[in-house]
Amino acid sequence: MASEVNTDFLHNKKLDSIAADILRPVGITQGFIVWMGFLGISLLACIYAYYIQFDKGLIVTGLRDYISWGMYIANFVFFVATSLVGMLISSVLGLIGLKWVKPIARIAEIIAVAFAAIAGLVIVSDMGRPERLPYVFLYGRIQSPIIWDVTVVTTYLVISTLLYFLPLIPDLAISKGRMGHTPKWLQQTYEILSVKWNHTPKQYQILMKAVRIMLILIIPTAFAIHTVTSWLFAVTLRPGWDSSIFGPYFLTGAFVAGSAAVVILMYFVRVNYKLDKYLTTHHFDMMGKLLVLVSIVYLYFNINEYLVPGFKMKTAEAIHLHDLFVGEYALMFWSVQLLGLVIPIILLLFKFFRKPFPMFVISVFVLVAAWFKRFIIVVPTQDHPFLPIQRVPHEWMVYHPTIVESAITMGTIILAVIIITILVKFFPVIPIWEVAEEQNELDSKTKE
Amino acid sequence: MIKRYFSLLLIVLISLRLSAQVWVVPAENETRKSPFAFDDASRKAGSDLYYTNCKSCHGEPGKNNAIPLVPPPPDMASAKMQGNSDGAMQYKLISGRGPMPSFKNTLSATDLWRVISFVRSFNPSYKQEIASASAAAGTSAQNVKIVLSWLKETNQVQASISGVKDKVNQPLAGAEVKLFAKRYFGYLLVDEPRTTDALGKAVFNFPKDLPGDSTGYVQLVASLTNDVAFGETKADTSLVIGVPTYRPPLTEKRAMWNVVSKAPIWLLLSYTIAVFGAWGFIIYVLLQIRAIYRAGGRKEND
Repeated sequence: MASEVNTDFLHNKKLDSIAADILRPVGITQGFIVWMGFLGISLLACIYAYYIQFDKGLIVTGLRDYISWGMYIANFVFFVATSLVGMLISSVLGLIGLKWVKPIARIAEIIAVAFAAIAGLVIVSDMGRPERLPYVFLYGRIQSPIIWDVTVVTTYLVISTLLYFLPLIPDLAISKGRMGHTPKWLQQTYEILSVKWNHTPKQYQILMKAVRIMLILIIPTAFAIHTVTSWLFAVTLRPGWDSSIFGPYFLTGAFVAGSAAVVILMYFVRVNYKLDKYLTTHHFDMMGKLLVLVSIVYLYFNINEYLVPGFKMKTAEAIHLHDLFVGEYALMFWSVQLLGLVIPIILLLFKFFRKPFPMFVISVFVLVAAWFKRFIIVVPTQDHPFLPIQRVPHEWMVYHPTIVESAITMGTIILAVIIITILVKFFPVIPIWEVAEEQNELDSKTKE
Repeated sequence: MIKRYFSLLLIVLISLRLSAQVWVVPAENETRKSPFAFDDASRKAGSDLYYTNCKSCHGEPGKNNAIPLVPPPPDMASAKMQGNSDGAMQYKLISGRGPMPSFKNTLSATDLWRVISFVRSFNPSYKQEIASASAAAGTSAQNVKIVLSWLKETNQVQASISGVKDKVNQPLAGAEVKLFAKRYFGYLLVDEPRTTDALGKAVFNFPKDLPGDSTGYVQLVASLTNDVAFGETKADTSLVIGVPTYRPPLTEKRAMWNVVSKAPIWLLLSYTIAVFGAWGFIIYVLLQIRAIYRAGGRKEND
């Protein structure tokens, strides 16, 4: 994002066609009603599951004394991880000056906002007494990484929301007069949210400065959020968690999950909204290269994380690794590593697989594997506490997620999809003014 | 398949390892016998001792619920346990091995036999053999008393022992005494066991650097080695002879594990600076949105 904005694009005729393309899907359509209806009904079932848990307590889950962090915490780590991509794309790549990220940046921010917003709810789902949530703030200890986590997740959500909203303001102003086909309340919402934007250089100057501050601030915040999430595990002595590389290991894993989520949403937007003019094969090709890069870095951390303890085979670590490599979790472990990491890396090295549809399929595998990878990180460690497990019922020693638990987890994913759907459907999903500005630059260059 | 092979190999290796480590009991210990007959009183006392000291590992006798250690702690009712002679049991209790601790300084000689008395109650075919009177040699006495005092000049602790012998209360000569200092857990043997002189006195060299409580008190316990002959006699005296030691509780200073009001300064500073820094920028940017709004408003008014 340049700090100086040339507002000539407002007078370029191409702005009309760009705005028309991007605003065409905005509004309530039949497809939207069907899709939201489906999500709404599914969510109701999940809310009923949560009602059961709220009523009876965590006993309705598979969680017991020894394995007290299960699907919910794995899900939380997954949500935090996926939300980090907002920082990677709009901030890191944007600040470097890569032009191709401009149409994707808002998609990345939508993912960031939706996943960060639900991450907090996921934690509440893991609480047997959710009405005690205020106690975290009333009696929380500043020494506990849980307090740090609550702090950074909140901060990250606010910054991500601002990074979604700020560049949207000029778009809302551009859209105002071109929304004839949409309901009145939506037009009024645009009117309010566009905060009297009328494209003055002064407004652009203020906006660019504000965006720039947020783009820089989100980098340490995003690093903090996932590093702290990794510390929730790494500050213990337990095999599989007691690792000094857990911070970067989580961070790089987050970029893999997030990039895959962005590709999936890009694909939906491109196909359903017929925006292939703006989300071109080039964008998918570049996202493919990005995904390979972050996956290779993540693979590197995986090798470190498993090879080093695997070489030493300290007693407790050996039991844990044995469980993962050839034991109870071997099928899940190797599926995740091969289908979600190694094979995608190999495939994405070829140009053919970086085309939109193959990229979409690969990203689905990567994202699903990313969820199970969090499960692999969270659960198996607790199978082997350092204290002897004596004379306890069998169900305390093994963890099997229940249907209620799975439904609640599914509910959080549905909620994130609902937020994404609303943001994608009611607001321009591709930054109109930034695309128009770039187009204007291209035009003036060709004229010269 | 590989898994099965490995577990088989593991079982073979473990059993080889165990069979290579038979607990050898010296011949003289093997044949030792209790100086008193096991009766209901000794079994009751032994039961209490067992449930306090042994059950946590060996489990309840006859229920095979010992904890899984290597080597496995045998059940008291098992043939393996009952195959030991009384002397062998006593030896194993005194010496300990691997995860099995030594109870030499924790239980008195009489208490050890009481535990064995309790263990034997799970063996219906057990017939007790009592040590012959000569084995429990040495003088015997009643109403034995031990008095501990501190000899300041030489930094020694003196034990004066007297008892009723031949119906006369008199100093006990030739009795072996052990001196212990009480620790948080168990007892620390002070100096060597000493034998009383003709005046019934035994003197122990007391170390100069033994930590006491905050005022220097050390709780001393003296007992007779042959408590079978003299009855169970213990002196339990606190003397100001240790180095006054103040151990601040772990929650006294600022620390990661302490309450929030005692959090480390560096942490409070970093957390506060980070939170205020980030939220300062966020509030600034929120104000910028207001600035954008005002800038737009002005143009309309113009």
